[in-house]
Amino acid sequence: MSLFKARDWWSAALGEGEEFDQGCMCVGNVDNSAMGHKVVVGSYMGMLRIFSPHAAKANEAGQGAAEAQLLEVHLQNAIIQVELGKFVCSDLLHLAVLHPRKLSVYSVLTAGNVEHGDQYQIKLVYEHNLQRTACNMTYGTFGGVTHHSLCIQSMDGMLMFFEQDSYSFGRFLPGFLLPGPLAYNSRTDSFLTVSSARQLESYYETLAVATEAESRQDPDQPLKTGGKRLTPDWILVLGEQALDISVPSFSHSSSSIFVLGDRNLYCLRDNGQIYFMKKLEFNPSCFLPYTSTDGTTNLLLGNHTNMLLVYQDVTLKWAAQLAFVPVALRVANFDLKGAVVSLSWDGHLLCSYMGTDPSFFSTPKVDAREVDYEQADAELKRLHKFIREASRTQVTVKASSALASSKLTVGVQPPLAVTQDQFVFEPLFSAFLNGRYPPADLNGDITLSYSSPTVPHVIQCQFKLPLALVCTATSPSKSSSSSSIFKITVDTNQPPVDLAAIFPIAAQSADNEGNSLAFRFLPGGLVTVLASKTSRYRIQSDAFEDMWLVANELVHRVDVHFAKQGVDDFKKSFSGPLPLKDYFLSVDHHFQLRVSAQKYQDLLSERAAQFRAIQRRLLTRFKDKTPAPLQNLDTLLDATYTQVMSLAEAAEENACQLEEAFVRLRSSTQLLVLLLSLWQGLTPEQTNILEATMLPLLHDTPQLQGWEESCDAAVSHLLRTCLSRSPKDQATTLAQAGGPMLGLPRDTARLKKHITLLCERLAKGGRLSLASEA
Amino acid sequence: MEVTMDPLFLAWSYFRRRKLQQCSEICSKILQDSPYDQAAWSLKTQALTEMVYIDEIEVDQEGIAEMMLDENAIAQVARPGTSLRLPGTSHGGGPTPAVRPMTQSGRPITGFVRPNTQSGRPGTMEQAIKTPRTASTARPVTSASGRFIRLGTASMLTNPEGPFINLSRLNMSRYSQKPNLSRTLFEYILHHENDVKNFFFHLQALDLAALATEQAQFKDWWWKVQLGKCYYRLGLYREAEKQFRSALSHQEMVDTYLYLAKLYQRLDQPITALNLFKHGLDHFPGEVTLLTGIARIHEEMNNMASATEYYKEVLKQDNTHVEAIACIGSNHFYSDQPEIALRFYRRLLQMGVYNCQLYNNLGLCCFYAQQYDMTLSSFERALALVANDEEQADVWYNIGQVALGIGDLTLAYQCFKLTLAFSNDHAEAYNNLAVLELRKGRVEQSKAFLQTAATLSPHMYEPHYNLSILSEKIGDLQSSYMAAQKSEDAFPEHVDTQQVLVQLRQHFAAL
Repeated sequence: MSLFKARDWWSAALGEGEEFDQGCMCVGNVDNSAMGHKVVVGSYMGMLRIFSPHAAKANEAGQGAAEAQLLEVHLQNAIIQVELGKFVCSDLLHLAVLHPRKLSVYSVLTAGNVEHGDQYQIKLVYEHNLQRTACNMTYGTFGGVTHHSLCIQSMDGMLMFFEQDSYSFGRFLPGFLLPGPLAYNSRTDSFLTVSSARQLESYYETLAVATEAESRQDPDQPLKTGGKRLTPDWILVLGEQALDISVPSFSHSSSSIFVLGDRNLYCLRDNGQIYFMKKLEFNPSCFLPYTSTDGTTNLLLGNHTNMLLVYQDVTLKWAAQLAFVPVALRVANFDLKGAVVSLSWDGHLLCSYMGTDPSFFSTPKVDAREVDYEQADAELKRLHKFIREASRTQVTVKASSALASSKLTVGVQPPLAVTQDQFVFEPLFSAFLNGRYPPADLNGDITLSYSSPTVPHVIQCQFKLPLALVCTATSPSKSSSSSSIFKITVDTNQPPVDLAAIFPIAAQSADNEGNSLAFRFLPGGLVTVLASKTSRYRIQSDAFEDMWLVANELVHRVDVHFAKQGVDDFKKSFSGPLPLKDYFLSVDHHFQLRVSAQKYQDLLSERAAQFRAIQRRLLTRFKDKTPAPLQNLDTLLDATYTQVMSLAEAAEENACQLEEAFVRLRSSTQLLVLLLSLWQGLTPEQTNILEATMLPLLHDTPQLQGWEESCDAAVSHLLRTCLSRSPKDQATTLAQAGGPMLGLPRDTARLKKHITLLCERLAKGGRLSLASEA
Repeated sequence: MEVTMDPLFLAWSYFRRRKLQQCSEICSKILQDSPYDQAAWSLKTQALTEMVYIDEIEVDQEGIAEMMLDENAIAQVARPGTSLRLPGTSHGGGPTPAVRPMTQSGRPITGFVRPNTQSGRPGTMEQAIKTPRTASTARPVTSASGRFIRLGTASMLTNPEGPFINLSRLNMSRYSQKPNLSRTLFEYILHHENDVKNFFFHLQALDLAALATEQAQFKDWWWKVQLGKCYYRLGLYREAEKQFRSALSHQEMVDTYLYLAKLYQRLDQPITALNLFKHGLDHFPGEVTLLTGIARIHEEMNNMASATEYYKEVLKQDNTHVEAIACIGSNHFYSDQPEIALRFYRRLLQMGVYNCQLYNNLGLCCFYAQQYDMTLSSFERALALVANDEEQADVWYNIGQVALGIGDLTLAYQCFKLTLAFSNDHAEAYNNLAVLELRKGRVEQSKAFLQTAATLSPHMYEPHYNLSILSEKIGDLQSSYMAAQKSEDAFPEHVDTQQVLVQLRQHFAAL
């Protein structure tokens, strides 16, 4: 985010596919000539390049880089760091190049003049082969000598000191794990690094007197004999990794150490006291303190959002946009004084200066259509018409029935579902099967609620979904029909009808030989209907519940068929015996699931209590002043958590199964009611009473009253009242109102007994009526 | 030209350049060859942490559970000006709700959306569920979803074979004795494994921190801050405060001040937090984060003048601070200086902020500054940049406002309808639609809209007031009186409401 971008003065793209990092660039008068600064860049691929940027050449794009380039050599080894210093016994600057296993010092010489500029070459002065992989280096007048010495940090934590062409000594840093930045503070003659313990450490005199590194084989082993252990003079806990340390020496009065951490910028005094710090709200990439005026220090800071920031102590003075994330920054004097030289990781070298060029962010164009006004006008008119019409129909709806805030609700039984169950206007929906089992009911409800100005009204109506929604007709297979487990036979007093005539959907499926039909439910399950030569219909299937829908449909359609033909005395009957055994199977299944739901509930609450208990213990332990071991309470906590989760999942699965079982139970119960009414020729009123008795609930709730106990209560009430043997008995039972609380029964034996009894009493001629005979 | 390099060095260099994925890959390779390479292990841990690192100071969302099940009992009726819960008392001469809209908890709308912009504790569960918790959604965040959202979850970044570090197998006391590993490991646990589900990991982090603090003879400020962070996450605020205080006495650090102030804000002690910030500023003069903290508290306390003062102070230190520019801009806008607000927003635009909200603001500023040519093109751009339905609704609402301003009622009506199509709980749009419906003479429809608006956001006084006027006109004095009372609750200084109330009382007295 910046207003301006850094102005390009000179730039070059170095190589292709080369990589650069922090130490790969240095700036200085490398050839000791009278001309200004040169830029030395070394890459990880081993290329060493020297540039001398000039403004005049910068104008010609593309040519600039080639003409300003003084030297390009390939050094065979990766270049980790380049530094300029007085590494030889003379006042001339030499170039030190650090390779992973080698340190070389070169002098850079002018080889001659050719027409496009000077030609340079490098001459090796001396080199050291390193025993350990180097990672970075620093230089300075260690111990106050006149010339520069070098200190190299290796990847395994050894500081190696070189005084010109001789190796002085090596020391292992204590507690080393990963290398940090390294800097030399000439004012206190000490070395600074940020260790893996995330603290800034300063080493001074102990370095020289500590044990020689070579005498120790393993840096991790504690010292056995002799020598002093290397300990830092002072440490400062930063709590973060550092990217760079810089000890600028602009004047003798200023004494500060700058540390660029991942998240903060620190300025410290020489004794490790924080002078100031600044929290950075971005990820910095590199920095460079470059000048100091009146006790404040100016520094450049590059970050990962392509910004170049100039700070005066903690105050942001300037922000400029760069085209890349800089990994190294320097300030150099060419023809242009104080140019900022920046290098990106992929070899973009840029000399720039601060200017008021606006940042090159330009807003993308909105795909604004070229407006054709006439066309737009026409479209607008058309749309206006639509809108007006839309609002007019709205008004007519209101006017015709004087409604306000009308609302339409559609409800169907699970597993059926509708696409949208509430409407304000335009009721349009479709229903579909949303489960892996056939529904028990194809009926749905529509509720329309609205309020005429003051009074709210509700209108309800029922609708029936077609059977074809949940099943398709297939051709019956002989083999399956003979092996079907469940069979029901319905007798009539009329000759059989052509099944294809009353089931038009089946007519489309090709062959229905022998007047039989088969329905395959979408979730699976096959039901076959056979019409015999005499007046019988047989329904058979592998699953008891599946027969309900088909049986109901068949009875209904046959009724309609004969009513159309004008046959008045059409009678249908079921000769029995009632398939009570099959029916009880689904009752038992449902009950079993309810019992296990209860079990899961208990287990869950028990585990949750345990979880809370462990949490409480852990918390008291952590609140304790003195830290105590956890004694594996954490493992226990984790295990309990896993248990709770798996229990909850199992309970959820059980709930799904329970829902399915309840739908199946409803199907079977309705089938049973249908058969009972056919068997005994019950009147519609009686059938309604029976249905209300057997299906007291529309929704099953495992915790509260479930189907078993409600049904049991209703059935036993019937048995005691209208179906009881003696009228006296009826009177006494009616007197005692309100039985015990309904709860989950222990087993289903009582219920089964009562249902069987109910069937027997009905068979013996018991009549269902709500009016007490007494 | 191929040059061989030490893989560990390369990984280390990648890490420094924040090429974290490459770094982690190289480390994985090293670890395959030598599984006990501590340096590579540590580097990979750091890389994985950096990938998901977020500064915890900026992230603070109270889940609904934390809010309602808060055990830290605090006086329910705080004195005015000492609590963030009762912001109603504006003593800084801030704008009234007639000029500047309020959030549900009664704060003026701020110019910069922060994670906890709309904080403030609701009084009841019902209100808690209704109050928008995050800036963008209207639903309350549960602890599990709201906290520490970031791009790409940690589990996506680690290798598919399972977590990089199996924390349950670590021997914490052994690691706590290794200072060069323990901090890295701790940050990994805290940031990479953080998940509210993983309460367990917090415990592990806490365990490690406690052991390490002991190891450092209770002298290491960093470990104390980390202990405090763990306590904070576990909701043990007083313990956290103790640790932060102790850390500050060892070493003054900006972060510690920020954590402590955040804690005090959570404990609803804004004055203490302010003093702490000011104390921090004595040590770190000109620290932007501290200044911003002060400004935010002033803004939440409805003290706009001081807030703007501090935002200006922020800009003196860092003139690219987006939050400060945006907040000053919105303050100018709501104090009837759209031209000046326009300059601030334009500045943001020049700095490269490019989003729907900015263009939305620009469009409004242009309109009120009478630069009509820019208004519609700004909104056009805003519409092109919308990221979600809420933003779209806001843009259309503003276009509707502009349409009202130029008197194109049909356009305004359609704009508000569009607003509702995109966000059906936009109470302001309901309110404005109601007024338009009333102008068309559809009293019933208008009343319905007003009632909807009033239920959607009871903190707004406009629907109540409008309802009161409307009820009075159709002769329903009782409803009118009740609505007027509600309006008075929402905005006690509203003169028109008071006039209505006086009139009604006279009526009732006369009867």
